[in-house]
Amino acid sequence: MLDTDKLTKKFKDTVAVDNVTISLRQGESVGLLGPNGAGKSTAIAMISTLMKPTSGDVRLHGKSVLKNNGAMRAILVVVPQKIALYEELSAYENLKFFGRIYGLTGKKLEGQIQYVLELVGLSDRQKELVKNYSGGMQRRVNLAAAMMHEPEVLIMDEPTVGIDPQSRNHLLETIRKLNREQGMTVLYTSHYMEEVEKLCDRVYIMDHGKVIASGTKEELKGILSEEETVWIEFDKSYPKLFEKLGQIEGIQHAVTDEHSLKLIIPKGARVLGTLFHEAERYGAQIINVNVQTPTLEDVFLRLTGRKLRD
Amino acid sequence: MKAVFLLQWRRFYRKPLLVVTMFGLTVIFVSVSAAGNQGGPQAVPLYADQSLTEREANDWLERLNDDDRFAFELMPESRARTLVADGNVGHAVKLLTTDYRLLVGREDPNRFVLDSYLRRTYSEELSLQRAEQAVPGIREQVESSRDNPPLTLTVTSRQGEEDSFQYNGELQLLFGMTLFFVIYTIMFSLVRIVDEKRTGTWSRMIISPVRKWQIYLGHLGYSFLVGFSQITLIFLLFRFAFGFDLGDHFWLLIAIAACYTFSIVALGLLIISLVTKPQQLGAVIPIIATGMAMVGGAFWPIELVSNEILLAIAKVLPITYGIEALTTVAVYGEGVEAILLQLAVLIGFGAICMVIGIRLLEWRSAS
Repeated sequence: MLDTDKLTKKFKDTVAVDNVTISLRQGESVGLLGPNGAGKSTAIAMISTLMKPTSGDVRLHGKSVLKNNGAMRAILVVVPQKIALYEELSAYENLKFFGRIYGLTGKKLEGQIQYVLELVGLSDRQKELVKNYSGGMQRRVNLAAAMMHEPEVLIMDEPTVGIDPQSRNHLLETIRKLNREQGMTVLYTSHYMEEVEKLCDRVYIMDHGKVIASGTKEELKGILSEEETVWIEFDKSYPKLFEKLGQIEGIQHAVTDEHSLKLIIPKGARVLGTLFHEAERYGAQIINVNVQTPTLEDVFLRLTGRKLRD
Repeated sequence: MKAVFLLQWRRFYRKPLLVVTMFGLTVIFVSVSAAGNQGGPQAVPLYADQSLTEREANDWLERLNDDDRFAFELMPESRARTLVADGNVGHAVKLLTTDYRLLVGREDPNRFVLDSYLRRTYSEELSLQRAEQAVPGIREQVESSRDNPPLTLTVTSRQGEEDSFQYNGELQLLFGMTLFFVIYTIMFSLVRIVDEKRTGTWSRMIISPVRKWQIYLGHLGYSFLVGFSQITLIFLLFRFAFGFDLGDHFWLLIAIAACYTFSIVALGLLIISLVTKPQQLGAVIPIIATGMAMVGGAFWPIELVSNEILLAIAKVLPITYGIEALTTVAVYGEGVEAILLQLAVLIGFGAICMVIGIRLLEWRSAS
């Protein structure tokens, strides 16, 4: 349905997006996973026709939209990372405006406003000014504004940044409902691995402007089929011990996080004995050890040597 | 375009303070200042330097009181200073043998009018005194010739007789303050474009089926209409409620207001394309508005400015042409032919600024 072909964007000497080729099939939910600065937002800006690529193409149903973007703009909507609303207006007034710019009028406009308010759970507070809403509620109106013209493709640019867990769950549940029940095609970008795992059928992983891996969640985790993740929690931080453990033979990647250490090791490698021995030698107290099945976070770690939120 | 335009009015409805404040400030400034200017000739205390005899001082008093606009009164220096210090009068004059000094208690357009009058009178009187030294009795001849001129030469120009500068304090205030405060209303309403680009609502509109020119038109249309309405309402208010004499061509004043508003909208667009942060614009707009008003003749008649550099700068400012056109119609009673040049300059200035402004804004967005 929607494809990009070697999409590239250069800003002077910086290549923000480098030969990105991705595709979205009708009705599927695709994740674009990557750390901050990976080029996700720039890629989205080009896909949504907001920004012109330096090279490459964006195609809708096989036709390029770079010169004639009308078809794309009629069916696609972007929920921006920022709260792109008029805060001095009420939720209702905001939705009325965003409906109008998509040509809705009269009863259809009124009906759609009430539908999207119901969808995001703000029907009873629709007359309140947006500036008086909590961050989570503003995010929900941000999504509602995008839903006003019932788009076929919904692109979400890190929609859960900076909101409370309750609003986050509500938002994710709404997106899932739109995708599963209404067949809306979703491109979801985030640097929260668990959100992408929860919502998306397929995932593209981006880093430094490039797609470094893609596939279904299972296919991606298959990258680590010969490996497993060992997570060790200590009573406090032991920088020297953590450095030493990372150098043990057989350990492929090691990442520290305050009091804990995550290690990717070959499946069946016998390293636990050495780990305990070293910990005892440094006088460190181990609180928890967990051998985990790989997550997308581990895949990213394996591919880049860094954590998603580094 | 309609949606974007209506949105601006909805936002105005929610946040009307700026426009209401600018409207209110214009009304207050003009009405209070106009009230202060009413009540016959301007009283000006006069005191003499020790170098002048009492007779010489009285001669100057008599000479200066030839003009009906002023009522000079000779008094001791201390009393004149007290009157100025207490704010009872705006200015006092110290007479010297061949010169004068102005004691200024209040900066207002009257100061320039007074200064201009004193300069002219002194110049004439001193020339006459010099001539009298060379040709005794010439003063009587000159005065007699002045009373019964052998030849009357009348030179008419676009604004009536040559050297016939007419100062109407009320209208000068009304036009100056109205055109000055409306700059704030228009330019701050255009800051919304910058704000929309910052918050992301602009991008939301760009990727909708609304065309870019429709978005600009919605914003610019609102800014134009809010500025134009402000000027028109103020003119109507002062004509019908305050009884100002705005001449016989009121519709022409409205046409001038439209052209001026267009030029300021375009200038505002150019400014927001150069200064892209709302906080910076908050500082830049007052500087530009006040600077333009000072140089362009909004605070005092431009006819009183003699500095060549300031006059050259004034020639590229839309407010100069706005006030000139309004004065030509309302004070000199001229028709549309007399202000075609000013209207053309305002429209041309606006068109140039708008093209450059939009191109710069778009260039910035793309890069």
